[in-house]
Amino acid sequence: MTQPLGTAEMMTGNVAAAWGARLADVDYVPAFPITPQTEIIETLADWCDRGDLDARFVTLDSEHSMMTAAGAAAATGVRVFSATSSQGLLYAFEVLYSVAGWRVPLVLVNVSRALAAPITLEADHNDVLAARDSGFLQIHAETCQEVLDSILLGYRIAEDSRVMLPLIVNLDGFYLSFTREPVTIPEPDQVRRFLPAYRPEHLGFKASAPQALGVAVLRGGEYSYFRHQMHLGALNALAVHQEAAAEYARLFGRRYGLVECYRLEDAEDVLVMSNSFATKGKAAVDAARAQGRRVGLLRLRVIRPWPTGAVVDALRGRRAVAVLDQNLAPGLGGILFQEVSASLYPAADRPRALCSFIGGLGGKNISEGEFETLFAETAKAGKLEKSIGPILLYTEEDHRHMEEAIRIANVPVKTDGN
Amino acid sequence: MWQRETYKKIKQLPREEYITPGTSLCAGCGGLEALRLAAKVLGEKVIFVNAAGCMTLLAVYPFTPLAGSWLYTTMGSAPAGAQGVRDALDILMKKGRLPRHEDLKVIVLGGDGSTYDMALSSTSAAIHRRLDFYYYCYDNEAYGNTGVQLSGATPFGASTSTSHATPSHPAAAISEKKDIFEIWRAHRPPYIATISPRHPLDLAEKFARAARYDGPKLFLALAACPTGWGYDPAVTPEVAKLAVETGMWPLKEAINGEVTHTYIPKRRPVEGYLRLQGRFRHLFEPTRQEDVLRHIQQTVDAYWERVGA
Amino acid sequence: MKTFPEGAGASEEGGRHPALLRIRFHGRGGQGAKTAARIAGTAAFLEGWTAQDSPIYGAERRGAPVVAFCRLAGGPILERGLIAHPDLLVVADASLLADPAARVLDGTTTDTVLFVNSAAPPEVLRHEHGLSQHVTTLDLTSRSLARLGKGSALSAPLGAVAGRLAGLKRETVKEAVSRELRGLGLGDSIVTQNLDLALECFDSVEARGARVASSLRPAPQTLWTPSYDPPTRGTARVAARANAYLRKTGDWRIFRPDLDLDKCNGCTLCFVYCPEGAIKLTDKDRPIIDYDYCKGCGLCIEECPTHALTSLREEEKVKR
Repeated sequence: MTQPLGTAEMMTGNVAAAWGARLADVDYVPAFPITPQTEIIETLADWCDRGDLDARFVTLDSEHSMMTAAGAAAATGVRVFSATSSQGLLYAFEVLYSVAGWRVPLVLVNVSRALAAPITLEADHNDVLAARDSGFLQIHAETCQEVLDSILLGYRIAEDSRVMLPLIVNLDGFYLSFTREPVTIPEPDQVRRFLPAYRPEHLGFKASAPQALGVAVLRGGEYSYFRHQMHLGALNALAVHQEAAAEYARLFGRRYGLVECYRLEDAEDVLVMSNSFATKGKAAVDAARAQGRRVGLLRLRVIRPWPTGAVVDALRGRRAVAVLDQNLAPGLGGILFQEVSASLYPAADRPRALCSFIGGLGGKNISEGEFETLFAETAKAGKLEKSIGPILLYTEEDHRHMEEAIRIANVPVKTDGN
Repeated sequence: MWQRETYKKIKQLPREEYITPGTSLCAGCGGLEALRLAAKVLGEKVIFVNAAGCMTLLAVYPFTPLAGSWLYTTMGSAPAGAQGVRDALDILMKKGRLPRHEDLKVIVLGGDGSTYDMALSSTSAAIHRRLDFYYYCYDNEAYGNTGVQLSGATPFGASTSTSHATPSHPAAAISEKKDIFEIWRAHRPPYIATISPRHPLDLAEKFARAARYDGPKLFLALAACPTGWGYDPAVTPEVAKLAVETGMWPLKEAINGEVTHTYIPKRRPVEGYLRLQGRFRHLFEPTRQEDVLRHIQQTVDAYWERVGA
Repeated sequence: MKTFPEGAGASEEGGRHPALLRIRFHGRGGQGAKTAARIAGTAAFLEGWTAQDSPIYGAERRGAPVVAFCRLAGGPILERGLIAHPDLLVVADASLLADPAARVLDGTTTDTVLFVNSAAPPEVLRHEHGLSQHVTTLDLTSRSLARLGKGSALSAPLGAVAGRLAGLKRETVKEAVSRELRGLGLGDSIVTQNLDLALECFDSVEARGARVASSLRPAPQTLWTPSYDPPTRGTARVAARANAYLRKTGDWRIFRPDLDLDKCNGCTLCFVYCPEGAIKLTDKDRPIIDYDYCKGCGLCIEECPTHALTSLREEEKVKR
């Protein structure tokens, strides 16, 4: 049964991701299954089998192999899509850097899931943020609609000759991947107008024009030049994103920025978040505003290239800023807190109180009460003009469960053989 | 008896060079010797998908010695890279975005380090997927590019920089060389062959025969290594000949798993082969290690008994 | 400027750090430049100096240009890696002087003491390559061939010569050669032969004390800020077909295959077995060896059934 196009329908974040690939007319889907992304490649496998998508689907033997096949195919001249999560992203890590170094554009969807050990299936952002230096660009989505739209924007940006870098679209496992909400499927011919055919000038292998790609570079000067070119290409993606987003808004009516400002107009304290829990952050802002507190939310969307200007414009002059990292770098704290703080430091009117909160690790829920506490602590820090954190959002009740579990796990086994 | 149909006389070997001089590989490299001969049969409509190893230094910016194309991927997943290239070429041709005459043979180029160890999984998967590609392994029986360390291909009794002869390990390497031919053959690919540059017509014939098959065509090339095995490059011919004549490097082929030995050696004693190489000197100096020498000879004898030759 | 050994321990002007001698070794892969640097380093250490030695590692292959460094000082050495301005330059292969890729003479001044392994007298090399007047030469290769029957691995004589020119004692250099060669796992017989060769060269080389150049204030470097290039330029790719012939490897060899056409029966085996493809065939199947590329591996000589190819010691191409 073919889907009616251009109308909204209920779909999970995973299916929305599959639709992104389908609408982008991808040629090749090298795949390897891993919870919570598997539904994406299952959907694509069906569409390829039934001819709904004119693409070749191949199961590889690992994410390391999958990413190599993906990069090699895109280097040969076809548009490639794949998806992974958590341990899979880490297993492909070596190859992420190679694909970016080959200046090969493709879109990889990462469905965020916390990293082992201990192994878990629940979402947090340590996996995708670990890849922030790989050369892949990164767009993090809050809604299932944004997943689909960001994949189309992703190809447009990645394949622009001013960029030519691969791109990760990230969505939270479970909270988006298995959550259904209304998603509008853009008109395919409109998409083809938005997304030109993939014809990279520096790539391709053919008999009449042999080339060597991924060659060894043994002199430091040459290596510095090539790596710096990647950096400049990534920086270009800021402007290219704005151009693409403007045209996307014109064609499909949905506008996306490098960041999203929610009720920041007169906010003195700003909560900074990314991905799907930003929705909960917006609700918390509404609740606080209802009590007369001037607060707002800044949602980080384009993580690489890092939108320094947009972050500083949104946060300068505020009394206090609270960054809620759903990740934890052991021995340091929240990763995005470091990046926000670094961006703000040169601004003369930077907020005096930078507050670091760590929440939602391993998919842990962040309750309204925890948001209340966060805003209260942030307000106090703002008054005292004193930065605080990293503070773990982990309640007394959470800890009572923990104590109980530790007790059970440590009851010595009676050794009298019964 | 195995008959050559295409390459019967030495002068039939193509005169064109598809790997130009000017590479940075060691003088007297047995691996390059075999690759150059293979390239003559494979032609220039090729792409080498390379795994980390000595030959990664064939293409060093801004130079390439290859008439064909090249993609270095990683040490562990070149076969997956080959899958990507092959699929992309097929898709481009099917969708009319690449004319047929632009097609390329996809050739994985890896040393024994990647082939026997790190890339085992990706190779097995590529064979399992019936990928239409060549796999060319230059086997110099150690991790050569990093200075000759023990690999899955290092023969019993060989000294490497991580398996020296010591009081606790007088024989040096105590692991047996993996039988990668049999590991591959267990997948029943259409074509597998072992080759040696010292038998150029045997080598060329096997590449000609392999071209008839769609799917995996896997080659194990003896790569006598002056640097790694400890002998003067000029002795490469004698070392490489004896590797075959002693039966330590059998020349054979397997079509859909059916094995045929393409050359039956007179089976000279292994000692003459071992004695030429620095990596086996500890078996003779300061004292002869009779048990180790006997073990190596018996292993070879047992192999040929099973073969019935 | 203090001549290093006598002024040992005395701190440099300003007393910031004691005098430091910088030695740079140039050779080809397999000639022993790295081990030579270690011999000098070990000898300096045994004599109580602070010592540091290091090679530049990468794709060095038997024959390709290799660089190694040794520093010795009375106190802490606040330097790492590349020696840009050597006080003493030790060149294992005269052909490197003309090899642009090797950049042997980078950073040398008129004060730099230069040792070149060459049969040619110093004035010829000085004239040929415009070298500083402190040039000394010795034909280590011939001496090595005479003693060991092989002329490729020269770490012992190179290390010994460097030790002598750096003002180190004969005894410690001898001990250093022995320790380093044993460290490579070489047998007793080879070690003793190398020791004799090393001491012969130690005694034969003209002792010209290396001078510690006063440290020159580095001129500020002007930075180049690259702008974004199209990926056709900004990607590590080679869009040329088989352009490696631009890189001549002929200088790698110590011996060359010499062809006597009368003995050649046109069997083409030399063409078949040359790993480099450096032998072409005439339309009458006679070989033409391209000496710009022949690495001197000797395979063709071994394989030639009529011995039309023989091994000839490579004369230094003094007149290029």
